[in-house]
Amino acid sequence: MGFPYDTGDWSPIFADGASGVMFMGWGGAAPGFYTFVAVVLCVVVLWKGNKSEHEQYEKLEK
Amino acid sequence: MEEQLAELAAKLAEVEAKTNVTNTMFAEAYYYLTIPLMILIHAGFLAYEMGASRVKNVLSSGVKNILAFAFMIPTFYFFGWWVYWAFPTGLSLSMGAMEISGLDYANSIALGWGDATAAMGPNINDQSAGVFFGAFALFACTTASIMSGAVIERIQTVGFTILAIVLGSFAWVVAAAWGWHADGWLVTKFGVHDFGAAGLVHAVAGFFALGVLLNLGPRIGKFNADGSSNHIAGHNMPLTVTGLMLIIVGFWGFLMACVIIPGEAWSWYNDAPATIYGTPITLSALAFNILMGISGGVIGAWIYTKDPFWMMSGAFAGIISVASGLDIYFPALAFIIALVAGIILKPCANWLEQRGVDDAVGAVTVHGTIGLFGVIMLGVFASGYPALDAFMGDGVRPTVSLWGQIVGAVVFGLLGFVPGYICSFILNQMGMLRTPEAAEIAGLDPAKVPAQGYPEGIPTSPAASS
Repeated sequence: MGFPYDTGDWSPIFADGASGVMFMGWGGAAPGFYTFVAVVLCVVVLWKGNKSEHEQYEKLEK
Repeated sequence: MEEQLAELAAKLAEVEAKTNVTNTMFAEAYYYLTIPLMILIHAGFLAYEMGASRVKNVLSSGVKNILAFAFMIPTFYFFGWWVYWAFPTGLSLSMGAMEISGLDYANSIALGWGDATAAMGPNINDQSAGVFFGAFALFACTTASIMSGAVIERIQTVGFTILAIVLGSFAWVVAAAWGWHADGWLVTKFGVHDFGAAGLVHAVAGFFALGVLLNLGPRIGKFNADGSSNHIAGHNMPLTVTGLMLIIVGFWGFLMACVIIPGEAWSWYNDAPATIYGTPITLSALAFNILMGISGGVIGAWIYTKDPFWMMSGAFAGIISVASGLDIYFPALAFIIALVAGIILKPCANWLEQRGVDDAVGAVTVHGTIGLFGVIMLGVFASGYPALDAFMGDGVRPTVSLWGQIVGAVVFGLLGFVPGYICSFILNQMGMLRTPEAAEIAGLDPAKVPAQGYPEGIPTSPAASS
């Protein structure tokens, strides 16, 4: 599980039966954490964007 | 029995030969097709820069781009390709450990005269040299085009072309030799890892542009006496934004050309694709991370600017910010890094403008600043990963580190800025850099181009004119 930092080479990735996963953080909590943060960022961006757009509409209606 | 064995052996040899031909044709076609995809980048740059120019300069911006592209190809053939193979170990031009670098090696495969021409022209026994040359030549064209947007509306055509040649056929090639080659000293000594060329193409080009801009000066009317700046709008934002999207399309070709196909004599491995460094990569990995990079950059730029020009520049910034680690980032992390790049893009561009630098399209920021950001981010997140894996066996592998990536970033920035500044300084002294004031005010098209961009004018809608 995870990248073999102790040997520092890629050969375990290619070994028979290995998962082949090569991105950083595999085997730990990092992927789930990053996915959660990315989802939250998308929601926050949409919320903030919607808010600022409606503020603009209100300015035009005045 | 012996006859049957002999027959089987013959059939096996036949199947093997056919498989080899198939693999060779696939590999050749793969790199061949990256070339037209990368030419789409130039269709994009044409639209982008012509749209960002005022009407009076529209065709001269286009001519500049087309001519730079045209001069990149022969100059890269004459000496750029040689530089990539000769320089990896540094100024000594000695051969590196992988035995695919140095003066002798470059002289044997990358000169336009003598025996080396066997690898520099049509050759039935060589189905790789031309397509590799082509892919690299298009990298050179792309690098030169990055500078071209920053300097629109006030640069002389030949002066610009000379700068493009220095950038595209020399400066970035040295950076690639040092940081994008298995024998490159930045890789072997510092573990610099830059899979998608964020540093060696984008940062080099961005800082080269900065060096040029310091000598070129701002457009007339850009800055007021009190130092405040005026926005000089291009005449066609839809064209610019569409052009930027075309560049994104072409970038897929650029990034796929960074992969080394397996199974050939020149491949790192028989059965697995690899990066230029011999570390693992797949096109699937690229697909995940490029898409996340584009999206993150667009979203980050939208929330800060709401401007489609900056959103598409954000797409660019997003890809560049994760390009160094497209092979090893987790996609959601790539999205986050790209989103941050999209957010910081406009503030960084404003910072530069507040210092009196007129970068017409934000090239220094998108490519230079974000390019360095991308190189350093990999050091933050990927420390410990082997930077080089090709045929290392039990040898100690140089690993990615924050310090190494910072060293790489500094070298790439200097490889861009120093030649950009010096060459533009010399051209300025020779009167070959800036167009005369009268020509700039009247428009460069009447001076440079025997054609009009809009001979019937641009009609306005009744609502706009009432």
